[in-house]
Amino acid sequence: MRKKIKKITILPGINKFGEKENFKKIDIKKGDIVTIVGYTGAGKSQFLYDIERLAQRDTKSRRKILINDKVPDKEMRFNPKRKLIASLSQSMNFLTDISVKDFLQLHLESRGIKYKKGLIEQVIKEANKITGEAISPQTNLLNLSGGQSRALMISDVANVSISPVILIDEIENAGIKKEEAIRILVKEGKIILIATHDPSLALNSNKRIIIKNGGIVKILETTLKEKSIAHYLNWIENYNLGIREDIRKGKEIKNVGIYCRPIKLKK
Amino acid sequence: MKFVIFAGTPGSGKTSVVKYIIQELKDDHKLFFAKFDCLRTTDDERIAKEYKIPVVKKLAGELCPDHYTALEIPKIVKENKDKDIIIVETAGLCLRCSPYVKEGLGVNVLDITSGDPFRYGPILTQADIVAISKGDLISQAEREIFRAKVLKVNPKAKIVEVNGLTGEGAIDVIEFIKKTPNIKNERFTLKHSMPSAICGYCYGNKIIDEEKVHERYLAGKKLKNLVPNLNCGKCGFKSCNEFIRAVLDGKAKKEQCPFIKEEGRK
Repeated sequence: MRKKIKKITILPGINKFGEKENFKKIDIKKGDIVTIVGYTGAGKSQFLYDIERLAQRDTKSRRKILINDKVPDKEMRFNPKRKLIASLSQSMNFLTDISVKDFLQLHLESRGIKYKKGLIEQVIKEANKITGEAISPQTNLLNLSGGQSRALMISDVANVSISPVILIDEIENAGIKKEEAIRILVKEGKIILIATHDPSLALNSNKRIIIKNGGIVKILETTLKEKSIAHYLNWIENYNLGIREDIRKGKEIKNVGIYCRPIKLKK
Repeated sequence: MKFVIFAGTPGSGKTSVVKYIIQELKDDHKLFFAKFDCLRTTDDERIAKEYKIPVVKKLAGELCPDHYTALEIPKIVKENKDKDIIIVETAGLCLRCSPYVKEGLGVNVLDITSGDPFRYGPILTQADIVAISKGDLISQAEREIFRAKVLKVNPKAKIVEVNGLTGEGAIDVIEFIKKTPNIKNERFTLKHSMPSAICGYCYGNKIIDEEKVHERYLAGKKLKNLVPNLNCGKCGFKSCNEFIRAVLDGKAKKEQCPFIKEEGRK
């Protein structure tokens, strides 16, 4: 039985110096995309970890997480069959010496999902949309490149651990097609939390949480102006990716091809 | 009094997890910590210094560390009757052994990167709690698969995910410790028998040869019948077996054992 998550509430904990975080509570509702920003080592991953564990003042940060305004039960925290939160951490390594296909099969079993024909193929197909070199079902998990591993994990989260809450830690670092990855993951009515250094990702979200020295220091709603700036950034990025593709294909890059003019925003 | 045993392969994070548990429990409970190891350790000193609780170090040396643990448990309990919780950390050498006792709580700290749980013996299959460590090193999918495999090997286990670096999960182990019933008397029963250890090699034979090992076995057996098998330490060795090996190697005289000396006089 999968219960519905309508709301996640974060109650304040402490920062690295033991000082209480300066907010009453943060509510994240169904359909929200929230980014977590801050310097490396500031505590972004810890924040995601608190949510994954549904921390009850028992983690380093001493934060407390409520689901639908209630303290979640133990089973929900640890039993994968009841787990409602899927996470994509920064660890990109696989350790099991097994083929991609068998691995996905095992994961389906451990999640208590009945084998549906074509599901495994679907996971691999979607993974191949976001990685350069295609993954075959027979490839050994250990032989996947960093980008391929990450792509497989993303597709696995999207298709196998179909959870209402998805946590993503620095998706941009893996050398994969970031936009496509987000598109695969983000489906209607989910709660998405993304720790990121990427400006266009941050400005595309509904809300961003700023973390410093292990504590939350600010919570900002994305303004309309910021969203339009995000569009502009996306455009620059796509241009950049186009050149990257050309370089990968072995083409000679002859000119810039565009002229950057700052755009004027309507007030 | 509660009795808790932590077992796990070297490097699995036993000591780190134990440290967080001691930190949480030390203010409200009288604790005692016994650290078993094979050859050397300073963990006992670190814990005594950091948390100001009584500790003891037990080095198995020439003996199988889990046999040694079983031999020492009654002494530790006898000397610490006034304590609320006795925490024993085993040397955790092989995957076969399990010095868990029925009367206490057995915690297996299991490194998620250490391979397939199906390879493990009683150390995992007989544990009451399996504390999976280093989960932060791998993806969620693999973590879930690992968990399912552990439950296949030990369906009754309570599974906790722990992190030795930050102490996360220690609180869940503590909850189980608090729920463990107190021991009623000082009689303990092992959950699983130890590996058998009766051959010439156990008596210190080094030459791999059928005849030599048998010869050694017979000589050892003869002495084994003479010594009291109490590991009293009066001969200068930690255990009767070590003493026998030394005698057979010519490094000790059999009269060093006060019991043999007494018998000789008669």
